Amino acid sequence: MTRPDSIAAAVEDVLELHRDRLALLAGIDRPKIGYLSIQTPEEILLAAGAIPFRLTGEFSTETDGASVHLGSNYCSYVLSCFGEGLAGVYGFADAVVFVDACDMRKRLWETWARTVPGCESWFLELPNDASPLSKSFFAGQLRKLIRRLEQRYGRPIGEGALRDGIARCNRTRELMQRLYDGNKRGSPLLTGQQSIDLVKAATTGLKDEFNDRLAALLDAAASQQPRAGRPRHRVLICGSYFDQPAIVEVIEATGADIVCGDISNGVKYFEGRIDADAEPVAAIADYYLEKHTSARCIDTDIRLRHLFDLVRDYRVESVIYFALKFCDTNLHDYPYIKEKLREQQIPVLFIEGEHNGSNIASIKTRIETFLEPRFF
Amino acid sequence: MDFDSIAQQRATQYENMLRLIGRQRAPSEDAAPALAATRMRSVVNCDRIAEAYRADAKVAYVSEQFPTEIVFAAGVLPWNIESMSNMLAQSLDIDQVFRLTQERELSRDICSFLRGPFGMMLAECYPRPDFVLTNDQPCEGLLKTIFMSGKRYGVPTFALHTPNLLDQDALDYLVQQIEIMLTRIAGVFQSDPDPEFLRSSIVNSNRAREYYRKAALLLERHALPGVARELLEIFGMNYFGAAENIDLCKTLYEEAVVLAKAEAPTRPRVMWIGQTPGESDELLRHLGRSVDVLYWAPLWEANLMALDEEQPLRSIAERAIRYHWNAERMERDLDHISDAYQVEGYIIANTWGCRNMMAIGPTFRSLAARKRIKNLTISIDPVDRNNYAFPHIKNRVDAFLETLQ
Repeated sequence: MTRPDSIAAAVEDVLELHRDRLALLAGIDRPKIGYLSIQTPEEILLAAGAIPFRLTGEFSTETDGASVHLGSNYCSYVLSCFGEGLAGVYGFADAVVFVDACDMRKRLWETWARTVPGCESWFLELPNDASPLSKSFFAGQLRKLIRRLEQRYGRPIGEGALRDGIARCNRTRELMQRLYDGNKRGSPLLTGQQSIDLVKAATTGLKDEFNDRLAALLDAAASQQPRAGRPRHRVLICGSYFDQPAIVEVIEATGADIVCGDISNGVKYFEGRIDADAEPVAAIADYYLEKHTSARCIDTDIRLRHLFDLVRDYRVESVIYFALKFCDTNLHDYPYIKEKLREQQIPVLFIEGEHNGSNIASIKTRIETFLEPRFF
Repeated sequence: MDFDSIAQQRATQYENMLRLIGRQRAPSEDAAPALAATRMRSVVNCDRIAEAYRADAKVAYVSEQFPTEIVFAAGVLPWNIESMSNMLAQSLDIDQVFRLTQERELSRDICSFLRGPFGMMLAECYPRPDFVLTNDQPCEGLLKTIFMSGKRYGVPTFALHTPNLLDQDALDYLVQQIEIMLTRIAGVFQSDPDPEFLRSSIVNSNRAREYYRKAALLLERHALPGVARELLEIFGMNYFGAAENIDLCKTLYEEAVVLAKAEAPTRPRVMWIGQTPGESDELLRHLGRSVDVLYWAPLWEANLMALDEEQPLRSIAERAIRYHWNAERMERDLDHISDAYQVEGYIIANTWGCRNMMAIGPTFRSLAARKRIKNLTISIDPVDRNNYAFPHIKNRVDAFLETLQ
């Protein structure tokens, strides 16, 4: 691999893994297994010799067919992913793993099994707390997944392969965390949308390629001088699945930086590290339950404490809470989180939108009205 | 909170509740014939509601299909926050309740069966709980609502996570969670769990369930006016484990026996699938003029199963997993129920905001097509009248009824 000679080139190099994800995945002669939730243990799929990739719901904007099966008052990320399945976008995949991440994804698991031929639908139980009992149960579920993969691909998954999978994913986490450490100290190296696309590139499943390219980006950035000029307002985004270039653009056009995304396309994906010295399956189970701070987590205070930590670490000045329409868990959490943020004098703006195509004109007005007075 | 403060708060909450439910919509002119069991249930409900507002009452908020046997075993009154929604729907002041939820920025896209109870808490109408017990049934929305209620009142909240797939690991996991929950409940009262109280509660539950199941069985072959609805009400009340429920179910069964002998004329049977409006709802009354309406949930296999008195927690766990929304299991259940009860039509009712029903509905439509059962899917909102009005769907309902003639 040739080293990119500028930061811009290095960024493009990494993001290419996302932009070309379908062609790249289709062109590789290895099993491919999709997933929706970042609680899916990629390490185990890697250990099975498969490429774990995330469904992004952006390659088929047609959701009418999906609505026929699931209903129209439904999370548009789930509908879009299903629309991709119906359209055969993931024809190269052997299966999709559906973690018990919310009621709508559970229903998608069932519906996918009935309506998407050639791509199996697998379900993985996910406890909604991190008690010792839940960790033990989840480890048992992971062992079932391992057995299923062994049967599917006719080869054993040994401890060595699991440790290798852990090492590769931990490497991704370490590199991503190094990149984001810069956001804590000052202005972000990447734009808000580049940061999101970077995580999407990580979820293409080509771990080694991603790690190499991100390491090159970090090398290129090492000599980067801090951005000159007046510090910009620091915004954190949290809430539902978020991949909204138009909203990001509006936020940045006001003169603010998105310094942290407490979202699955942000820090939630790469936080923490799996204990590489512990028994692998138990370590994977512990990691995924301990880092679980999404709206699906039963105790909202766990999510809230994590959010406050991010606000402190990234020196966040404003929070934008984005909920996809009909994303029930995030809608339920909002009144409580808003109340607690306001108690701490942290401004918060609630935005509701659709996965593909929100009404950006009205959102733009609200974001500008919310952010602009805070710059003076 | 000290005893006097609790007493004062609950007294205020009781007055608020009476004021709210005292302003009812006009009663229907053709109300269904009241069974003795119905009147008895009203008395039991009135008694437990009044009891829950007393300062010395031990009250636990519970979710819809929570295993109340373990609540009664602890000597605590279960307060099913969702089941109050239908009563709320009849109040003229319902919009005030929903307005409170909107002022707190709770989305109107959330199911009204959940927004309603949240609003009732904001309106200070529910009795303050001593603690909150929840599982993730029937949906994550209720889990969220009830967990938040624990935070609102600053009381302990104990939750169960119910796995979706039934196997030994899932049963072991849930049994252990219930054991931990029992210890925690006892801890609230600074005591130890008493196996004898649990045994007694399980026996009560099974005795009531036996009468309940026999009434349901009679319904398979006989037209029994009012019995299907009463089975639904007892299901929603979820008072299994309490001694009063034995008398209630026994009375229902005995009335069913008498009604069976009376041989009422049979009419086409329609299965109502989904969340159900209150009995006086105009849509249900309209249907009741030409067909016999049966209700799906009370006839689920999970709802008719007896608990194993030797291994009660294990069978509670199994029942809980079987209660979960699951397309395959529910389709199998409905297939069997449709044959056993000679069902000729389905009404698949999507309540605004119920994602589970919305996504499983197509499975039932496919089943109906295979079994050549007429079916109608409607979008309704039995609680929030801002979302739905009967005249908007009346034509479709009438067309459906004509196909059954």
